[in-house]
Amino acid sequence: MNLWRRRFWILVAIVVGVPLVIAILLAMRFLPDRPVTYANIEDHFKYGSTGGERNAGFPYWIWKAMPVIFKDYLPRNGGQGYEAFGMVYETDGRGNRKDLPVGVMKRRNLGIDRVFVNCAACHATTVREAPDKPPRVIVGMPAARFDLGGFEQFLFDIAVDERFRAAVFVAEIERQAGSLGPLDRYVVYPLAVEIMRGQLLMLRHRFGPVRPDLWGPGRVDTWNAAKAGLNFDMGRLPAHELLGPSDFPSIWNQRQRKHRDDGKPMQLHWVGNNDEVNERNLSAAFGTGATPSTVDHAAIGRIQDWLLDAQPPAYPLPIDKTLAARGAAVYKQYCADCHGASGQDFSGRYVGHVTDVDLVGTDRDNFDTYTYDLAVSQDTNYAGTPYRFTHFRKTNGYANLPLDGIWLRGPYLHNGSVPTLRDLLEPSGCRGPAAVARPVTFYRGYDVIDPARVGFIGTVAQENGRTFYLYDTRQDGKHNCGHEGKIYGTELPPADKDAIVEYLKTF
Amino acid sequence: MTFWTPARRRKLKIAAAVLLVIAALGAWFAWYEFFREVPEGPWDADVANGHSAADVRFMYGSIGAERDAGIPYWIVYVLPRVFPDKLPGPNGLASFGLPWEEGKELPVGFTTKVIGFKRVAQNCAACHTETYRTGPKANRAFVPAGGDHTFDLEAFFRFLVDCAKDPRFNSSRLISEIELSRPPDFTWVDSLVYRFVLIPITRQRLLAREAKFAWIYRHDPPRDWPDWGRGRDDAMNLTKYFLTTSPLDDTLGPTDMPALWDLRKYQGNPGTRMNLAGDSWDANSVIIDSALGLLSAAPPSNEKFLDEVHWLNRYLDDRPPPAFPFPIDPAQAGAGRQVFDANCASCHASARTGTVVPVEEVGTDRERLHSWNKDAAVRANEAVKAFGIDRKGLVEADPTGYVATFLDGIWLRAPYLHNGSVPTLRDLLTPASQRPQVFYRGYDVYDPQDVGFVALEQQASRLGVSWADVTGHGSRFDVRLRSCGNQGHEFGVNLPAADKAALLEYLKTIVKPLPNW
Repeated sequence: MNLWRRRFWILVAIVVGVPLVIAILLAMRFLPDRPVTYANIEDHFKYGSTGGERNAGFPYWIWKAMPVIFKDYLPRNGGQGYEAFGMVYETDGRGNRKDLPVGVMKRRNLGIDRVFVNCAACHATTVREAPDKPPRVIVGMPAARFDLGGFEQFLFDIAVDERFRAAVFVAEIERQAGSLGPLDRYVVYPLAVEIMRGQLLMLRHRFGPVRPDLWGPGRVDTWNAAKAGLNFDMGRLPAHELLGPSDFPSIWNQRQRKHRDDGKPMQLHWVGNNDEVNERNLSAAFGTGATPSTVDHAAIGRIQDWLLDAQPPAYPLPIDKTLAARGAAVYKQYCADCHGASGQDFSGRYVGHVTDVDLVGTDRDNFDTYTYDLAVSQDTNYAGTPYRFTHFRKTNGYANLPLDGIWLRGPYLHNGSVPTLRDLLEPSGCRGPAAVARPVTFYRGYDVIDPARVGFIGTVAQENGRTFYLYDTRQDGKHNCGHEGKIYGTELPPADKDAIVEYLKTF
Repeated sequence: MTFWTPARRRKLKIAAAVLLVIAALGAWFAWYEFFREVPEGPWDADVANGHSAADVRFMYGSIGAERDAGIPYWIVYVLPRVFPDKLPGPNGLASFGLPWEEGKELPVGFTTKVIGFKRVAQNCAACHTETYRTGPKANRAFVPAGGDHTFDLEAFFRFLVDCAKDPRFNSSRLISEIELSRPPDFTWVDSLVYRFVLIPITRQRLLAREAKFAWIYRHDPPRDWPDWGRGRDDAMNLTKYFLTTSPLDDTLGPTDMPALWDLRKYQGNPGTRMNLAGDSWDANSVIIDSALGLLSAAPPSNEKFLDEVHWLNRYLDDRPPPAFPFPIDPAQAGAGRQVFDANCASCHASARTGTVVPVEEVGTDRERLHSWNKDAAVRANEAVKAFGIDRKGLVEADPTGYVATFLDGIWLRAPYLHNGSVPTLRDLLTPASQRPQVFYRGYDVYDPQDVGFVALEQQASRLGVSWADVTGHGSRFDVRLRSCGNQGHEFGVNLPAADKAALLEYLKTIVKPLPNW
């Protein structure tokens, strides 16, 4: 009897105990869901989680392996790895380059570290005061260097490359990380590669005829990305709706954008299609992979609160106070009604209102990509939660924006088609030949500011082996027409234009 | 020594108690997941869009269709995302041309109700709310009770059936799409209920509709079977095949979705009939029959159902059409009044208004008449009676002509004639041979000059409208196809140009029903 009893308990231990131990070990490996957190709010913005990694996150080691395996798909501009897409790496306290670039977040999820882009990818980058000065990362400014479209195109391309398979990734990961255990080697990474390829193929399919490779650095085709997210049948969209990239915006001073002179909130986005700051933020967070089921409201809320009063840095070079004072007077007469009394005071009759697209006359491609049908379809986002979208509207033009930190927001106009503010005060040449006109082509992605004309220097094609993006305003979605004529100040004497530009440095 | 020792009795009692608790929990679970009803409303006035609380109830309130015709919310949510290729356009659910107010979760006419789980069904407003814009950049105006000229109902019917027939309509595929959008409180229990119950059952129920919809899939020669197109439905065939289960015949009679405003006008003269061919006796009967079509089953409670019908009838009795939203030349309109009295009033402002005019006299397309008959009317009346509902009902006679329409809000009821075959009032005042042969319906920018919606390229270019936008949002209408003929009603077509211009101006002013006695 005792013998059988003992055997029985051994059997129980084998049948119940062993699986239990295995289950506990697996749970410890695969169940934790832990973002890397940062006490400092700027670090949280640059590297903190939005929750999007749970949905879209790349396994960390796949992220590390991709630019090595698919080196041949990287843009050939002299940048190494993800720097080829204009992503920027900070150095840590000891002068070592950080492991992940600004705008990439990390979370332990499903048994592996997963990474994905966060808000800072598109809303932070580097600036230099002069070619020989060190680059300074500024948070909240448009990521003028980041080629999001190029990055997306890279992912679309590698997903259909024959090397996108487990054996190739495992070999590269082992080269970088050392030998993998059997669980990782035979189960986790093969599965991760399969799942990731499936998701990339889905994204590639949903973008259909949209061409991210045509966007260029600092720009994104927001509304076509939104349509792809809703799985619109992009192939049947009319041609004029398929290419309308616009510049990444700056995102400081959100509190002041909640009010305009008539008491209503400002109309946000370039086309002014939403006037609710938090809803606009959740909409933008889709770009970080955050969906209603994966979004980390607490983490995004922290960023949201900080952005209410986040400020752009002051212009770092000397400002000619006399000239600026003269510029202030001209600005008040010509610009203030639409763009605010100053860089800190956003009052003005038309600030945060939309100007008819035919009146402002700027490239209408971005305006055309946003449709009524998209607006109502966006109202289904976040269904079943208190966050459901209710504020998207089809408007008739582009919004008049406040100009806080405008010196960091070049190139100018919604599509980034004018390299400097001084150029913006010249006619485009679209309405007939002009003696002095805005540049027909210029380079984007160079991070040295232009102290005379304000904006980034657009005449540098390369520096230290790194080439920059040639922006041709004759191409679709890149026209530099509009925002010109008497009321826009392009007929002012040159001295007045210089004065306005000097004044705008104080914003 | 009995078998039921006290110990055994005790064990039995415990077992019974445990079973009872399990059964009770199961019953509660089943009730909660599948039958629990959560009341909707109250309906608040929507000041921003100029709608009263009654308008909002009409546009979004349940008429009780969710129990039998309702589709689980998350299936409706993901279908346009899983099957974008089966939609009539590229823009998701909006591609059907449903009136859809900015900020609203679902289009007008789509109702949601929790009966165990959240279900989506339709009410009258899907086909009876109209939109218009005064220009390509103007805000869209929504007119509850107007005739919906943009909604492609046939495409919507086909979409649901076609999705169900597609191999992609399976639990794994739909749930993986739901996963991308589900709220945090959509738990694994909900997911299991969808996977094993709601998705398979919904698929079966949608497939079951296919046989009844056989005629909207027909393309067999020698007859042509054109699509209904936006803003039209084959109303009498729907009644025939869904309410009465009549055998399939060869008829096809799509007609414009009518405006339902000012229904009180039908009470003045005992000779007036409802429906385009005068097939029904009164508004109450029409509302009952149409609502039964939306329920696609006997009402769960006749009392509640008739209360709702009564409310709809009262609401529609006094809901006026909107005034013409552009300037009107009063002198010109005054002159037009004379032209109207001399040429139009005998049918459109007389005892004849609202009564049937023989088709030989009006001369318009006859296909709609063929789609209905005495036999069908008898059977439909019997079917409704079998539900225990008393109503005056359908006219038990073969239709012989079309009702001379009241002209209240006629400016907004384009395209014209019963089958919507003439895009503008200006075209209607032209001889049939000169009316447009091919045009687009379903675009809602208004053309005040021709009095109707933008339907032709020349109108689009005159008004600065993108023609690609018109063709992208409209459906092509060819008057040479069956049921689409634009002949007939050649009244006033030979008037002098000045008289026509004056008449058009006058027609813009008509908001209230003209007296018909």
